[in-house]
Amino acid sequence: MDTSYETLSTIAKSFGLFYLIALSIGITIYAFCPSFGKRFDKAARSVLDDEEGPCR
Amino acid sequence: MLRKILKPFSKFFEFHARTHYRAERHSMGLTIGIIAAAAVGGFVEIAPLFSIDDTVEADPNMRVYTPLEQAGRDIYIREGCYACHSQMIRTLRDEVDRYGPYSLAVESQYDHPMLWGSKRTGPDLARVGEKFSDEWQVQHLADPRSLVPESVMPQYAFLLNTSLETASLPGRLAALRTVGVPYTDEQVANAADDARGQAIPDSDRAYAVEERYGEATNIRFFDGRRDRLTEMDALVAYLQILGGLSDLPRNMQIPEGD
Amino acid sequence: MMERLTVAERQQAMLITAVLALAGLILAIAGRNDPMGVHGWMTLFFAGGLFFVVGNALYAAEPTEDRTTSYYDDPTKVGILLSLFWAVVAMGMGVWVAAQLAWPDLRFDAAWSSFGRIRPVHTSGVIFGFGGNALIATSYHVMQRTSRARLAGHVSPWFVLLGFNLFCIIAASGYLMGITQSKEYAEPEWYADIWLVIVWVSYFVLYMRTLARRNEPHIYVANWYYMAFILVVAMLHIVNNLAVPASFSAAKSYSAFSGVQDAMTQWWYGHNAVAFFLTSGFLGMLYYFLPKRAERPIYSYRLSILSFWGIVFFYIWAGSHHLHYTAVPQWVQTLGMTFSVMLLVPSWASAGNALMTLNGAWGKVRDDATLRFMMVAAVFYGLSTFEGSFMAVRAVNSLSHYTDWTVGHVHAGAMGWVALITFGSIYALVPILWRRESMYSWKLVEWHFWLALIGTVIYVFAMWNSGIIQGLMWRTYTESGTLAYSFTDSLVAMHPYYVARTIGGAFFLTGAIIGAFNVIMTIRRVRQDTHELDYPTKSEAGEPAVPVAE
Repeated sequence: MDTSYETLSTIAKSFGLFYLIALSIGITIYAFCPSFGKRFDKAARSVLDDEEGPCR
Repeated sequence: MLRKILKPFSKFFEFHARTHYRAERHSMGLTIGIIAAAAVGGFVEIAPLFSIDDTVEADPNMRVYTPLEQAGRDIYIREGCYACHSQMIRTLRDEVDRYGPYSLAVESQYDHPMLWGSKRTGPDLARVGEKFSDEWQVQHLADPRSLVPESVMPQYAFLLNTSLETASLPGRLAALRTVGVPYTDEQVANAADDARGQAIPDSDRAYAVEERYGEATNIRFFDGRRDRLTEMDALVAYLQILGGLSDLPRNMQIPEGD
Repeated sequence: MMERLTVAERQQAMLITAVLALAGLILAIAGRNDPMGVHGWMTLFFAGGLFFVVGNALYAAEPTEDRTTSYYDDPTKVGILLSLFWAVVAMGMGVWVAAQLAWPDLRFDAAWSSFGRIRPVHTSGVIFGFGGNALIATSYHVMQRTSRARLAGHVSPWFVLLGFNLFCIIAASGYLMGITQSKEYAEPEWYADIWLVIVWVSYFVLYMRTLARRNEPHIYVANWYYMAFILVVAMLHIVNNLAVPASFSAAKSYSAFSGVQDAMTQWWYGHNAVAFFLTSGFLGMLYYFLPKRAERPIYSYRLSILSFWGIVFFYIWAGSHHLHYTAVPQWVQTLGMTFSVMLLVPSWASAGNALMTLNGAWGKVRDDATLRFMMVAAVFYGLSTFEGSFMAVRAVNSLSHYTDWTVGHVHAGAMGWVALITFGSIYALVPILWRRESMYSWKLVEWHFWLALIGTVIYVFAMWNSGIIQGLMWRTYTESGTLAYSFTDSLVAMHPYYVARTIGGAFFLTGAIIGAFNVIMTIRRVRQDTHELDYPTKSEAGEPAVPVAE
């Protein structure tokens, strides 16, 4: 293997951090995007009464 | 502009969106998202470890398991000994005082799989080799409470009465070679004979074992019986080599524990 | 049950079982000199038996009504019963292994009955047999309800469920014969691993196809958790089980990894088996059955999404906290510790979300043992994730590792969280599935609840005590600088706790037996809820079943 352990682990570690930051920002935006609010509320309520069979 | 270019295709897009695309988009997106989020952590932690040269200290004198020891290791695994005994001495002062120099990565370099364990219902065995005599080990395995009255270890007397199956040993060594243990062709081909030889000192087979695996190899009547090769022979041979594959830990200075 | 399959589907099932039986025969012949051959015969009988069951009813009447107007619940029902069966068997094994540590002579003298061989029967039996069947069964239920669509296919749900149980049987019987890879929670050998991959891929395809049929644009969050469970378990299973068989006529194989890499891979697997088998899947259960039973929507849907991604992302890093102070490079240990501590945030968000959902419905929790099961499960989830983050800190881990504290922690999660949420969901689900007015006996549900809670508390406290005492004894020095206690001294000190642990486990097992009895009596004795229609009823409260207005 050409790449040494040192470089590999440095790349791994820094990449991991950036990935973490990007992912958390992305998810926060998704979860708090106002346009999804209605959809989420609807989904949350949807499980309460779902025994009527598949809708068609 | 973009809209103009795409216009001829709008029918296709609409159709696509109405049927397949719409239903699949979310679940595929979710799948990709989960894989993307879940794959990275393992990759970051595990991949660098495969640039092994830097991870594992080098020991040119590192021994491989003889066929008899490997057979014993397989019995150790079969009986689930790893559920109660670890083989990993941590870099803590009390562990070093109790069990010996802390374990180095190189020592389990040829352990497929590793048997570091996760629980010590019994003591650590990483350096148990040659701490006790063969007789003690045999007696302890056959009836632990005759030597340690407080022990809760299961008794393994049946190992004394079970002949060791050696026919599959060449295949096992070959498989181990495939995954990276440096066995020679000769060692693989003679594995079954060597397993017998290691338990019959002063025989031609025993000399062959010495030649193939080195002078330091333990060649003894491990279970105390000369007439047959039992699973007890193999297991005791394995236990007696634990911690003895590499001299590196003993030669390195023992640092203070945290 | 056969009447809900068409003749073509029955033929398909016969073809699959015939191929499987043939595979079993090949395995039996190839492994005739090895315990693997026994597994070949078992596969042959398992698949052959199913072949004849289906074949017997091949030309029975076909379904007459339009199947798409109803949910397909037969596999769910069978899955629930299998789950309860495994619960009783595997928890029984657990009590036995626990008793062996207190009274080692209870091992008797057989080769198969030693601690090392039956311990994985207990762990795999509980995790895969009890937990896995419950997850598969409830996922079938949840994916259909939240998608408002019938399962995609009538053969593949059976293939997944029964194929998975074949894997469990091979695993458990293999340990007794000494077939094991020694990788904790991934002990089955190469042929069983390959079979599980086939089953698991079918499971994923089934899930995706059912979701593709859904009539809601948004996928309900419980499905996310189930999806993460299916996908990541597949990834973990495949990587950790990479191995080279010593021969294709024997069970033995050697892991592709060794030493440090193997340790890291194994605990990456091991810890994420906890994360994605024992957490993610069961959170899916929680996010569906808790709101359903409490008749209140989840407190914050946004929070459930945030904690989902937190759990999926953070957990993967945490595995190396099993390897503190070992030969694994220090930076890997530190990463594992850091992420384990961060993991507390999404974990407590989930637990808090569940408890806040119940806020305002405490009266229901007081009166309804089923809901109480779920509430206490959420509490234990919060407790054991806190404990887990705490134990992942290096300094704490130096004391707790290798001791019974770890065992106590695992059981706080497994009994307090996983088993309680499962039993709660089963009690919520059984009357709906079998269309019964209620459970056979609500008093027995109460009994089960209290036995399970007392058993868990006894068990966990015994193991906390023994683990901390053990860890302290190992590191205690005399004034002259020598170790104060021999290993045997620490073992002797464990005895009372091992006895207490066995008693706690026996309580829990008794509860599970009562639960299984109650479910069977519900199916056999309780009156059908009004009409016996294929239409699911509106709720378990006993309202008349109304066909959907088209």
